[in-house]
Amino acid sequence: MFYRDRKEWADLEPVPQDDGPNPVVKIAYSEKFSDVYDYFRALLKKDERSDRAFALTAEAIELNAANYTVWHYRRVLLQALQKDLREEMRYITDIIEEQPKNYQVWHHRRMVVEWLNDPSEELEFIADILSQDAKNYHAWQHRQWVIQEYKLWDNELEFVEKLLEEDVRNNSVWNQRHFVISHTTGYSSPAILDREVQYCLNQIRKAPHNESAWNYLKGILQDRGMSSHPGLLEQVLELKETHCSPYLLAFLVDCYEDALENNNQKETLNRALEVCEYLAQEKDTIRKEYWLFLQRSLESRFECIDVLLCQGISPLLKSDIKNGV
Amino acid sequence: MAEEESQLEEFEQIDFLRDRHVRFFQRTLQVLPERYASLETTRLTVMFFAVSGLDVLDALDVIDRNNMIEWIYSLQVLPTEDQSNLSRCGFRGSSHIGIPYSVKGPGVLHPYDSGHVAMTYTGLTSLLILGDDLSRVNKQACLAGLKALQLEDGSFCAVPEGSENDIRFIYCAACICYMLDDWSGMDIQKAIEYIRGSMSYDNGFGQGAGLESHGGWTFCAIASLCLMGRLEEALSQRELDRIRRWCIMRQQSGFHGRPNKPVDTCYSFWVGATLELLDVFQYTNYEKNRNYILSTQDRLVGGFAKWPDSHPDPLHAYLGLCGLSLIGEPNLRKVHPALNITQRAFQHLQQLQQTWRDNAGTCT
Repeated sequence: MFYRDRKEWADLEPVPQDDGPNPVVKIAYSEKFSDVYDYFRALLKKDERSDRAFALTAEAIELNAANYTVWHYRRVLLQALQKDLREEMRYITDIIEEQPKNYQVWHHRRMVVEWLNDPSEELEFIADILSQDAKNYHAWQHRQWVIQEYKLWDNELEFVEKLLEEDVRNNSVWNQRHFVISHTTGYSSPAILDREVQYCLNQIRKAPHNESAWNYLKGILQDRGMSSHPGLLEQVLELKETHCSPYLLAFLVDCYEDALENNNQKETLNRALEVCEYLAQEKDTIRKEYWLFLQRSLESRFECIDVLLCQGISPLLKSDIKNGV
Repeated sequence: MAEEESQLEEFEQIDFLRDRHVRFFQRTLQVLPERYASLETTRLTVMFFAVSGLDVLDALDVIDRNNMIEWIYSLQVLPTEDQSNLSRCGFRGSSHIGIPYSVKGPGVLHPYDSGHVAMTYTGLTSLLILGDDLSRVNKQACLAGLKALQLEDGSFCAVPEGSENDIRFIYCAACICYMLDDWSGMDIQKAIEYIRGSMSYDNGFGQGAGLESHGGWTFCAIASLCLMGRLEEALSQRELDRIRRWCIMRQQSGFHGRPNKPVDTCYSFWVGATLELLDVFQYTNYEKNRNYILSTQDRLVGGFAKWPDSHPDPLHAYLGLCGLSLIGEPNLRKVHPALNITQRAFQHLQQLQQTWRDNAGTCT
């Protein structure tokens, strides 16, 4: 039954949308849809705080859960009418299960959790959403918020390992691994760093063509000296024979670049240039132009001292200019 | 036989159906069926996709620009007589609150009426694209509304009532300040800190600190810094090189948004434009990118979808075109990679800003 025909709503004048004489991107609503929202607009105008208003917001949400004004008004009513927030948690749980990629529903849940100051259902709920879509950005974002806000770090690494076992290529889970460790033990201790390096290499042995694992490995080492981690270069060169990938080769280039920054050797530069060539011509041809560009820039940055001497140029001056870039 | 067939398929896929796309955007600007209800509060952004899309196609002549300009101005939240709502000013996404149609002030006092940062951004860009001179925009009110949205950590909310806050809205804010040529609407330093804080261990940018790096957020980060004129101040050469690498690894055929995710037409713009801003788009594979975008073209109704054999929508239709424009597809206007409008519309903006500066100089 339309709201316009209900006796208990007769006191309200419905408010239609008014787009003027030349509406643009007009959405053709059914009578039912317009009826609900005409009464929503009427309630909004007088800022009515009542149970009938609260009930109507649920209908409005069902028709369009992306209307952020409806959600905001519902939150105003939740507080003004002192509604049962546990019941609201049940409600928002159902809505998110139906529409897990909507921004408004996750924001609403966050507000209710904050009001209740009770995160106890969150990790399990989010795990359930992730079981349906393990890369849902909203779910991971909410999870990080809950963990950080309420200090729920204890079991998260275990959760990460479980998900990586299910899908070692899930980039969101690798990101979560970094999130957990950087906020708990950190990566400064050699024991932890080495554990993580070995963990990466083991995952790479199982699934070599995995950008996420290589990005993680590079990520934790890039500011700690990629070429100085004991035995790593050797392990990577070994893997190159049996578990090669564009990511392995790119990692190798980055190792050589790091080495060159500390000790500019012709041999190292040549190796780096060779790998760039191999990537460009054979192993990562879609990025051919990029690898050739990188090759040129490495060449120009680390042009060797003996070459410069042959050109009769003071090596110090030229390398100052080059390395200043 | 198989080779002939695949050559024929390739030719069909390469055929860019300009007129279908023009009609797709025309229909978008008219009436959409009820199943698009979730777009109600963002109708102005949908208008932007269509209008800017028509601009890229050099087909703005098919629409009534003046009528559209009026509709946009009816969405402006103007100051009330007593100016008590300044922190809520800007543009609405649509008429969904029920304010009676009006293109001029003073504003109407309503307990829940306020602008939305993405609507203020797309409202201003749409006006520019349609050739308007922004003379009816209350710039000070827009900037006051914008200021009210920035949080301590430098990020922005979308609306003054409160919403999620993240890097998307920093981008919207940067566009607004850039267009209005007035950065008093935001604390640039704090915004830069938030952006830097959003850089992931893998050198892409997430929606905020700790979050997974993503092509869309990386665009927001880099484009914002470019608009602010602070790219090289905020990021070192080493960081920029690492970001370039993260971005360029997103190409699989077309581009995806995150490692190990499927490609999607819109990332041809988000990641493509970022690469262009970082001067390395020239090193991507244009042919594979083009082939992917065109494989998502809807040959019947026009527009583009995220994937082949999927339903087209205004966002992917627009960004698919922008992706093609970046690689220099003939008969498409060039797009300004940071502001995401055609260079033509950008030149109009520059002329306007020159006029404002000249007028400011002559005012006593």
